[in-house]
Amino acid sequence: MKRIITLTVNGEPVEGAVEPNRTLLSFLREDLGLTGAKHGCGLGDCGACTVILDGKPVNSCLVLAVQADGREVLTIEGLADNGKLHPIQEAFIETGAIQCGFCSPGMILSAKALLDESPKPTETEIRTAISGNLCRCTGYQKIVEAILAAAGTAQGKEVS
Amino acid sequence: MLLPKFEYHEPTTLEEALRLLSELGGNAKVLAGGTDVLVRMKQKIDKPSHVISIARVPGLDAITPRDRHGVTVGSGVTAADLARHELIRDRFTPLALAAGRLGAPMIRNRATIGGNLVNARPAADFPPACMVLNAILKLKSAHDEREVPVNGFFRGPGDALIEPHELLVSINFETPPPWSGGSYVKLGARKTLEISMVNVAALVTLESADGPITAARIALGAVAPTPVRAYAAEELLVGKQPSEELFQQAGETGVGMCSPITDHRGTMEYRCMMIEVLTKRALRLAVEQARAWRP
Repeated sequence: MKRIITLTVNGEPVEGAVEPNRTLLSFLREDLGLTGAKHGCGLGDCGACTVILDGKPVNSCLVLAVQADGREVLTIEGLADNGKLHPIQEAFIETGAIQCGFCSPGMILSAKALLDESPKPTETEIRTAISGNLCRCTGYQKIVEAILAAAGTAQGKEVS
Repeated sequence: MLLPKFEYHEPTTLEEALRLLSELGGNAKVLAGGTDVLVRMKQKIDKPSHVISIARVPGLDAITPRDRHGVTVGSGVTAADLARHELIRDRFTPLALAAGRLGAPMIRNRATIGGNLVNARPAADFPPACMVLNAILKLKSAHDEREVPVNGFFRGPGDALIEPHELLVSINFETPPPWSGGSYVKLGARKTLEISMVNVAALVTLESADGPITAARIALGAVAPTPVRAYAAEELLVGKQPSEELFQQAGETGVGMCSPITDHRGTMEYRCMMIEVLTKRALRLAVEQARAWRP
């Protein structure tokens, strides 16, 4: 039986009727047409479906749409401000951190969640923050550089 | 990947959740963070006809210190919250470290300590940490409530001492005595999103900063059908001055208590060697922390 859910997506109130077995990812992509979050592995391993739920990055393929009822969701589509790209998005373009682009929405949202919490992260913190986002082009170096550039810092290395 | 159809329940009180569990019991799955349950349902390993979400049951996500004596952790507390909680990092270190090594950041934002314990996977991160801290699990049902020590809770892969009509509501930890230190060491092929090849939690109590060991607990994961306490290795440590040779002996004794398997993550032989190495390492780290103990 379908359930009515109301949530905030990218600052806008949204209402939908969903079967309980629909994921937040499928609701965003199919019902709202927000195809920025990608369907990768579907099992929480690749991070392509990353969205920010109540301020925290989550795998939207492992969240039921009904679980997002009453909550706040930010997708990559909501990151630009009145057509002006977010500084992390700018840095990704500037640095060449985008190749095929499949992981980019997730990478950028993981980076945003990190910078919201710790505006001047070390390289270790950056690598840890994106450790659940796989880049199939293996363009990690540029991605880390882009996030460093967005934060305006440069330090330490390994994943902790 | 599609989820099979199910009926969804979203209780907003504990009473309602317990009543649903007693009515639906065996046909229902409890949904907390969903990082295990939804994966198993997508893979069609689990096909429950009912799913009971406990995300909106108030109080399950609280970390409540009990004076200086201990802390009560709600079953719905996420790994991310435990990993960054100051008291947990300071006094219940294996718990915070295990929480910080579970999955990846996005998984840690959803995965709960209760789910990780109840799933009873042999390689899970929380069980060894809870075992060295002698955690007590509080299980509730509509008409009853009982406390079960975590040491003894696990019966086999995916099998724990909890009935279908029961809900794990909280986990109680006593604060380790002064001059205690703990650690959690995990070995996998990579550092994140990894299921352990071997994991070790240790808790060591010293008589004083440079004194002998007065108590030690070691728990090993991914080395047998359930995580195991290495009691013989613990006994060997008590009363002795910490040293590399002693940790080595404890590691060798620990291997004898395991029955690891060969699978795609590693061979039985490699696991045995790593139990020895990781036990030694975990003890070294625990003693370092114990020596730096501050009131």
